[in-house]
Amino acid sequence: MPKAFRTAAGMTGLGLLLLVMGAATLGPLLAPYDPQAFHPAARLQGPSAAHWLGTDQFGRDLLSRLLNGAPSTVFFGLGATLLGVGAGSMIGVIAGTAGGWIDSVIMRILDGLLAVPELLFTLLIVTFLGGGMGQAMLAVAIAFTPGMARIARSSVLSIRTREYVLAAVARGERSPYIVLREVLPNAVGPIIVEATIRVAFAIMIGATLGFLGLGAQPPSTEWGLMVAEARQFMFRNAWTVAVPGVAIAMAAMGFNLFGDALRDSLDPRRSS
Amino acid sequence: MAGSNAQRAADTPVLEVSRYSLSYATPSGPIHALKNIDLRVAHGQTHGLVGESGSGKSSLAWAILRYLPENAIENDGRLLLSGESLRDRTLPQILEIRGRRISMVFQDPSTSLNPAMRLGEQLSEVLIRHRGLTVQEALEESEAALARTGIAKPRDMLRRYPHEASGGEKQRVVIATAFACNPELIVFDEPTTALDIITAQQILELFNQLQDETSISALYISHDLGLVSRVADVVSVINSGEIVESGPSAEVFRTPGNDYTKALLGAVPNPKQWLGVTEPPSEAPALMSAEGITVEYGRQSLLGQLLAPKPTHLGAQEVSIEVRKGELVGLVGESGSGKSTMGKVLSGLQDFDGNVRFGDRNFARLAEIDRTYRRAVQIVFQHPDASLNPRQRVREILSRPLKLYDIVPREQRAERIAELLEQVRLPQEFANRLPHQLSGGEKQRVAIARAFAAEPELVICDEITASLDVSVQASVAELLVSLQRQTGTACLFITHDLNLVRQLAHRICVMQHGKLMDAFHRDDAEGPDRNPYTRALLKAVPPPASQAA
Repeated sequence: MPKAFRTAAGMTGLGLLLLVMGAATLGPLLAPYDPQAFHPAARLQGPSAAHWLGTDQFGRDLLSRLLNGAPSTVFFGLGATLLGVGAGSMIGVIAGTAGGWIDSVIMRILDGLLAVPELLFTLLIVTFLGGGMGQAMLAVAIAFTPGMARIARSSVLSIRTREYVLAAVARGERSPYIVLREVLPNAVGPIIVEATIRVAFAIMIGATLGFLGLGAQPPSTEWGLMVAEARQFMFRNAWTVAVPGVAIAMAAMGFNLFGDALRDSLDPRRSS
Repeated sequence: MAGSNAQRAADTPVLEVSRYSLSYATPSGPIHALKNIDLRVAHGQTHGLVGESGSGKSSLAWAILRYLPENAIENDGRLLLSGESLRDRTLPQILEIRGRRISMVFQDPSTSLNPAMRLGEQLSEVLIRHRGLTVQEALEESEAALARTGIAKPRDMLRRYPHEASGGEKQRVVIATAFACNPELIVFDEPTTALDIITAQQILELFNQLQDETSISALYISHDLGLVSRVADVVSVINSGEIVESGPSAEVFRTPGNDYTKALLGAVPNPKQWLGVTEPPSEAPALMSAEGITVEYGRQSLLGQLLAPKPTHLGAQEVSIEVRKGELVGLVGESGSGKSTMGKVLSGLQDFDGNVRFGDRNFARLAEIDRTYRRAVQIVFQHPDASLNPRQRVREILSRPLKLYDIVPREQRAERIAELLEQVRLPQEFANRLPHQLSGGEKQRVAIARAFAAEPELVICDEITASLDVSVQASVAELLVSLQRQTGTACLFITHDLNLVRQLAHRICVMQHGKLMDAFHRDDAEGPDRNPYTRALLKAVPPPASQAA
């Protein structure tokens, strides 16, 4: 295992991530009950031998719902981030390498978009695209793009003036080689870290959209929607909110810590 | 102070370090920074501490000021200030001592002054804090202190912010602050390294003058032997945390006893000792000639000029330089003189007006510079840490020019890389290394090998020795010359170090403020028709004491 993961933070991140990803791939198969089955007799129960994490207002088993919702929640977080990071990095790298008026035009547009808070921006896009998982994912990706572009651009700019890049320009290397081999590998550090932080954000924004009824729709078991549906019963049984809430937090933390360790292990100066 | 006390004070050394060791705890075991250090600074004495980077000289300064990181481990050695132990002081006591009894002058005045405070506030703060003056008294005293450092309009200077003063002026303010409370000891940590040659010379003169006036005791830390020989009464040479030689400065420089000191002294460039290749005959044709090169920085688009016009700045103004086949031309100047701008123009990194003639081809702007030119003209940069891609192994770095210009067939590349490494005197196994696994000097050798891999006709060396230690500098310069001898490549050697360039260059060009001030053959360096600026530069860097005779 790379040295960067052998720290307490790295191990924790890896552990949490394995747990979350395990739930996302095998969760629905492991669920002890049908996540949609109503059991009016067993409503709003705390943890017990029969229901390890308790039940919700309809008597549905929370553990089963949590496991069942893991794939869509994680898929949402990863999908929205990958789209947003991909588009943003591409724009940022183009702006940073091209320079001149191309850079100015791109960056002024992005500055305008950055002025709108991310959540508000997401909500605006959702109103155009309509509710639902796919639309919400696209909305989050679009909202992420300007910020990612800015980070990618500044990272590229700082690398572009390094002497080894100048050396490549001076010896007459073609632009694709310079961008792909000299600049990008050294500029990805901040992009990766930002991306992993954003997976956590995406999961939370997804949860928020679910909570507001703009993302996943009932009877989906997406975690944010679970929190939303349970909020009226929070004071009668806190477990209904805590279970999906803690799961979201664990996923977010797992991605964050994993991202830090990943950045360190990708840096040749830190890994050996 | 009573007479007997004064007598005692004069006998007790101002600073006494004895059997002091310091190491830093790291995850991979302790690093020994200082081993059994013994050092005394007598009253009114300047003690020079000379060492290369990593020798532990700065660690000693921090230990004396009691400003050590948490992972520092000290032995039971002693650190005495006028006979009183510094080690058993509490933090509040240390805070009283710093600035009042020991002050420090750092390398870079632009980072040691607070950019958000006026210079006057920073100077008077020390006086208010340590001498209990009122604001008004402190300002008056500050003005007097600045006047003593030779600042022309001290009252005016007090009202300025650091960015409104030049590097030399800022360092004068720092020095005035250090002297302000008349401390027992001042620690100077490379106080002139970040300054230009002529400014550094002036600061040095100021130091000597203030030292004469106040007879303060000083610990003067530097990597520069020549410089220390001009300020210090006593000198100690430190190597990997150990003081290898110590004694009166004249003695150590003239008859060094230790091998390391000898090597260090031998590595100091001596303009009288020629290292370069045989000069090409004067009728040798020009290989490259730059004619009337002008570079304008900050040029705006038409729209930009209309909306927010900003003044442009000339990086180079009508500069003409010629390099003949097999020749080494030195291009000398201070920072901001435009010498690196010329390096960038000639290596095809900077747009220009004028004409670059190479062989029988002409290039009138950046866009005309093609790959044939780029192959023939290679550049080596200043910072070994930045000039190699940290993610590429040495093999990949060296194979790139071979591949790009198709110099040897694919199957011979490995062999050629081994040859190149051998030429720059590095073991073949280094091909597998990543840049961070090499030392500064080794990295610079790889960068030189990369330039020579293209089999160029002209190599531009932009301050290639400036970031290296003295002993490494000498070997890199020598390597360059031996490569030149083997390949017959011409070289444009850009540097601020006149002594070094006089050992290597057949002809020397001097630039100042973007203009070519002077160009002369090395034999005429001290001739009567030298430009006054050239003469000032030469005067500012006399050879070290040991070589003066």
